[in-house]
Amino acid sequence: MRRKVLNVISYEKTRDTFTNEAFLMFLAILAGLLFAFAAPFLYRWLGRWVYVPMALLPFCIFLYLLSLAPAVLAGSPLGEVQKWAPSLGINLHFYLDGLSLLFALLITGFGTLIMVYAGGYLKGNSLLGRFYLYLTLFMTAMLGLVLSGNLISLFIFWELTSISSYLLIGFGHEQESSRNSALQALLVTGLGGLALMAGLILVGMAGETYTLSELLTRGDMVTSHALYLPALVLVLLGAFTKSAQFPFHFWLPNAMAAPTPVSAYLHSATMVKAGVYLLARLTPVMGGTEVWQYTLMIVGGITTLLGAWLALQHSDLKAILAYTTISALGLLVTMTGIGTAPALEAMLVFLLAHALYKGTLFLVAGNVDHATGTRDIKQLYGLARSIRPTAIAALLAGFSMAGVLPFFGFIGKELVYEAVLEESPLRWMLFAVSFFSGMVFVAVALLIGFRIFWGRSQLSTPLQHPDKALLYLPPVVLSLVGLLFGLLPGLLATPILRRAAQAMLGEEQVFELALWHGFNLVLGLSLLTIALGYVVYRFSGSLQSHANRFERLYLFGPDKLYQHAVKGLITGATKITATIQNGYLRNYIVTIVITHILLLALSLWKDGPALEMSYRLEQLSDIRLYELVLILLVIPALIFLFQSRSRLTSIAIMGIIGYSIALFYILFGAPDVAATQLLIETLTVVIFVLILHKLPAFQYLTHARERYKYVLVSIAFGAAMTYIILLVKQYPLDSPLKAYYGENSYLLGQGRNIVNVILVDFRALDTLGEIVVLAVAAVGIVAMLKLRMQKGGKP
Amino acid sequence: MKTLILSVAIKLLIPVFIVFSLYTLFRGHNHPGGGFIGGLIGAIAFVFHTMTHGPQQTVDTFLKVNLYGYPRQPNQSRSLYLMRMMRVNVWRRRRKARQPNLNEKMIRLEPIYIIATGLLLAASSGVVGLMFGHPYMHAFWADFYIPILGKPGTPILFDIGVYLLVIGVVLKITFVMSEE
Repeated sequence: MRRKVLNVISYEKTRDTFTNEAFLMFLAILAGLLFAFAAPFLYRWLGRWVYVPMALLPFCIFLYLLSLAPAVLAGSPLGEVQKWAPSLGINLHFYLDGLSLLFALLITGFGTLIMVYAGGYLKGNSLLGRFYLYLTLFMTAMLGLVLSGNLISLFIFWELTSISSYLLIGFGHEQESSRNSALQALLVTGLGGLALMAGLILVGMAGETYTLSELLTRGDMVTSHALYLPALVLVLLGAFTKSAQFPFHFWLPNAMAAPTPVSAYLHSATMVKAGVYLLARLTPVMGGTEVWQYTLMIVGGITTLLGAWLALQHSDLKAILAYTTISALGLLVTMTGIGTAPALEAMLVFLLAHALYKGTLFLVAGNVDHATGTRDIKQLYGLARSIRPTAIAALLAGFSMAGVLPFFGFIGKELVYEAVLEESPLRWMLFAVSFFSGMVFVAVALLIGFRIFWGRSQLSTPLQHPDKALLYLPPVVLSLVGLLFGLLPGLLATPILRRAAQAMLGEEQVFELALWHGFNLVLGLSLLTIALGYVVYRFSGSLQSHANRFERLYLFGPDKLYQHAVKGLITGATKITATIQNGYLRNYIVTIVITHILLLALSLWKDGPALEMSYRLEQLSDIRLYELVLILLVIPALIFLFQSRSRLTSIAIMGIIGYSIALFYILFGAPDVAATQLLIETLTVVIFVLILHKLPAFQYLTHARERYKYVLVSIAFGAAMTYIILLVKQYPLDSPLKAYYGENSYLLGQGRNIVNVILVDFRALDTLGEIVVLAVAAVGIVAMLKLRMQKGGKP
Repeated sequence: MKTLILSVAIKLLIPVFIVFSLYTLFRGHNHPGGGFIGGLIGAIAFVFHTMTHGPQQTVDTFLKVNLYGYPRQPNQSRSLYLMRMMRVNVWRRRRKARQPNLNEKMIRLEPIYIIATGLLLAASSGVVGLMFGHPYMHAFWADFYIPILGKPGTPILFDIGVYLLVIGVVLKITFVMSEE
């Protein structure tokens, strides 16, 4: 296998072909899409065994990524370009360094377990095929997101994750709450995505490239650019909405309406960390400034506190986990904001640890829900006796979450404390924040990992079914991985985390993860956290019972604000639609015409040249006899049209006018246009005749004065158009196009009729657009006349 | 609308209209004409027919094919069966149609299918260029010349697409308007 070793700085050339790695990376994404859309068919074919191929896919990608790991760990990012829209600087570019590898491994490894788990969790659900479609689509999008080496393709995958998340949250679409939650998640993250797009384009403008590997070396250029601040605000908006930071955190607990595999995968381990990934990715590009640091620290800090505080007030397993996830995400953002080398290391370790234990706990919560039918911790007790494997997984994950010694979570917490206590102006505030969240994590870990399973009780919650292997294996595996990482931190986690930190800091990092740091301040703080956490746990019951005291405060929370905004949007849209779309064709036409006249008048008045009337009046004497005859035909017809009181007469007169205009075309040498005009006139008359007898009797409902208003508008419009055309004719038109078409019509277009050659060859794409419009119009007419809606009902 | 003269005349004139519309279509590249005008001329023929005979009659006459068939006999070989079916449907149509034991299967050509075909033809005529590494809509021309039809090439395909689409759109609108 040929490896292309990339030097980050000299990576300028874009190449047309793939090397092996990048081709396989591209293939992995493609295979993901293929599998996603094959899932419903596989389900029909394989039934409940559908999870086998669906789990094999992420597993294969996982193995493949592992095979790339040695090269990446040796310190050379892999990357390749497939040209996509080169003129815009947008390429399908894959870029694999330590940071992407960490995330990609997390996504695929976790994905494998989730695919297996979902097979057990949703067994018997008739929509399982569809579920796998969404889930695989999401996984592919997420993989594309972290492997993207181009800002624009990153954004596209980013949006794809939002959309697939919407579909997954709304999987139980029979329930209104889950539909609403899905919409909420989509609106909030979609809004952030919109901001992110603008932000990334600004970053691209500031750095003069969309390619990530080039951008990474141009941090100074971006931060000193005038567009830095708006770009930063927009990018942060995108990252904060995705990662559920305050004040956008409210969508995440609501997203728990999704089936548990989704909550575990999207809303704890992967998707919500996309925002953190983006921040980490852009740290070398946009980070290091005070705005960046303080914004991230403050927003992250508030989120950490808020998430931890709210977690204590809920008794629903998934809600508790969701709020602690928000808290953990806040901590990650805070760490990214601090931006020093120890802080970023701590961020990465904590990220990995959190993904492992939080994923496990979510799966455990799913098991409990599945087996007992409830997620309320007040009704769950003594479950260790009945679902022991799940209980073991929960215990291990709980230890890791609490930060107990041999687990990976312990290392994470130690590093977080160490990083926070470094010299910085906000050190005590940051320490308080992380200490508080650590305390709550201990309490929650005791609550979920210990109390509902191992707590002292004579009885245990009755089960609806015993534990199933498909359901308990994934959490057990995950929790064991967490233990393994904790026992062998130097062997498993250090190399990749080092490279990931290098991707953020720019230079190679030398740090060793070790379980035991000796007796120092940090260890003492860890122990204190656990002790105080236990106290919080003892009082958690009474805290929950007082939770409803804060209800009035939540009336002004972002969730309520969101609901008011959505309601306001709908009422506002209804009102605007009722005003604009009033259903009277004449009003639409009058509006369009008047707007047109006003715009014309405005531009003519501002800087339009004046018309030379005298020269034009002289030309009037040259008028030919046949032109005069036609004018004498049209004008009386028009006057007669205004007088007519019958539809048939009106149509006939319109026909006369139309045919006269066709004659004009013939006289001035445009036979194609004339023929079309004649045919269209004929058709119009015939179609009018077809529907004439179905219309109600013709009568004037409007006052005569109203009619004069329309006459005035028509005259004004006609006058304006005439004026414009005369003005245009006043200047000689020396466009090279006319000569070009004239010359090349026969040579290139092989036809002597220039009009037709332009239509079907030179500007065929325009014609294609026009005929598409025509087809759509036909479909629209059918829809309007055939499928007419009953009032208030559906067609 | 029942006018005897028009209704008889249009029956006789429809082939003329069609031939003339095709002529206009193919002559378009060198003389006034083209897919749009040709399509309109072709559509007008059917529109007049609808006007005098009603939409149902138009559909029955021009846009519907009745296929006749009967269940396959036991021990009858497949090829023999297919041949008999073909015979029933091709040269013994009239006579067989009156037999009661034949099942009738109707294939109706919806105007929307004509629209779709036209759109497909127009859109895919440009793909040829794409396949040979040229931009979309790159024109290809044959070297020879066919009398009346002119030189074959991808723009002609495009024009035929436009022609079909226009006929389909006008027919659909007419049917919808007059059926109500």
